[in-house]
Amino acid sequence: MVIITLQRNKCIGCNYCVEHAPNQWAMSGKDGKAVLLHSTEKKGFHTIKTWDEEIYEENKLAQDNCPAKIISVKKV
Amino acid sequence: MTRDNKIELMAPAGDFAAMQAALDNGADSIYFGVEQLNMRARATVNFTMDDLEEIVERCEAKGVRTYLTLNTIIFDHDLKVIKKLVDRAKEAKITAVIAMDQAVISYAHSVGLEIHISTQLNITNLETVKFYSHFADTMVMARELSLRQVKFIVDGIIRDDVRGPSGQLVEVEVFGHGALCMATSGKCYLSLHDENSSANRGACKQECRRAYEVKDLETGNILKIENEYIMSPKDLAVINFLDELIETGAKVLKIEGRGRAPEYVATVIRNYREAIDAYYDGTFSDEKVADWMESLRTVYNRDFWGGYLYGKELGEWAGTSGSQATQKKTYIAKGRHYYPKPEIGEFLVEAHGMKIGEHLLITGPTTGAQEFVLESMMVNDVNAEVAKRGDVVTMKLPFRIRPSDRMYKIEKTEFAQKKLIEQ
Repeated sequence: MVIITLQRNKCIGCNYCVEHAPNQWAMSGKDGKAVLLHSTEKKGFHTIKTWDEEIYEENKLAQDNCPAKIISVKKV
Repeated sequence: MTRDNKIELMAPAGDFAAMQAALDNGADSIYFGVEQLNMRARATVNFTMDDLEEIVERCEAKGVRTYLTLNTIIFDHDLKVIKKLVDRAKEAKITAVIAMDQAVISYAHSVGLEIHISTQLNITNLETVKFYSHFADTMVMARELSLRQVKFIVDGIIRDDVRGPSGQLVEVEVFGHGALCMATSGKCYLSLHDENSSANRGACKQECRRAYEVKDLETGNILKIENEYIMSPKDLAVINFLDELIETGAKVLKIEGRGRAPEYVATVIRNYREAIDAYYDGTFSDEKVADWMESLRTVYNRDFWGGYLYGKELGEWAGTSGSQATQKKTYIAKGRHYYPKPEIGEFLVEAHGMKIGEHLLITGPTTGAQEFVLESMMVNDVNAEVAKRGDVVTMKLPFRIRPSDRMYKIEKTEFAQKKLIEQ
């Protein structure tokens, strides 16, 4: 299983996550910050859990390239 | 420019405490960022859109102007956000927006919000001033210009009658104090290159402030270099030649430091306020300059030089990491209550101790930054010389304190001793 988490309030809207994994990420026109698609939110942390392990590599790139270091991608 | 025709003193405000410090110490205007679209996007202290009314209300009460920084590069996904920010700024009666991206300039112009040109546009000549005069009334000059070059531009604005949208002559703004970049006024790609964190989106990771070495890849030998901080310039200070700077005809003196603490803003603004007033009173003197410089050294600095204003080549490097301030602050206590009639403040000591005679600092969003020497206090309702962790301390204070306030002890650092020896 792949678990992706975003701590959204610290996003600076650089767009790197969208470039690496456009199927999981989009930029919000409303506040200019990243949106983790189909995620659920709890106390500011947005999370998706999926059995589709093919998305791991590209989301790992999104994690590594995030300048605000607010994306976490784990395989469990 | 201010109403009494003096050069305008513009202060940085990273949060409400710094803003209050600017208001209390004589700033004519403040600049601040909200949300993530400003050059201090990573600062945890940024204001939010909901703070705009309070900022305007508190500044207007003192006749201080408010400038909203909206000066990163802008992507298409930001367009709705900047429109919302500009609309909110206009609604809240913010004086002007400080912009660099043409998207922001164009939209703010279309809704009639005053525009100031950001340092990110690197204005270095009169033609560029004329170009932006279709949109903007005030423009900051690139930090790389000399006094002579600034004067050339100011004279050109008067001679060619270059007016902004307001119908007034364009006002030239100059950076007066604070951090300098090794790149042209912030146009730097080091942070993006090294850590994918764009300085031009307000996410500078300050690579230039670190120590570096030169390594021979063939042998692995490390070459000795005189200064490992090869990219970290000293901070800018102009207080020692403020008279010459004012005589260029620049109308606004901008102080850098939205990431700085409230006591930094208080100290820097207080000294520049005194210096500006002394210039216009005709009391500006070398003795005063020495006092102001000593005071400026007490807060965060990488040592000082006059930047490029004398046309110097870059070559004044900091030589150390971090601050060379001659004073530091240590957390002691948090505010509990203020009894207005007897003017007594009550604090709970949470760390370290404190004793009579110590130099204290209280900061908070409404209190700003207040410094004083502790002359007497009561610990757990008894007169005392010392207080320790867990004690409830009361003391007479001529200003109100609040539960959101923090009390610090101000002490000398190793740099204080070093400066003393150098003298």
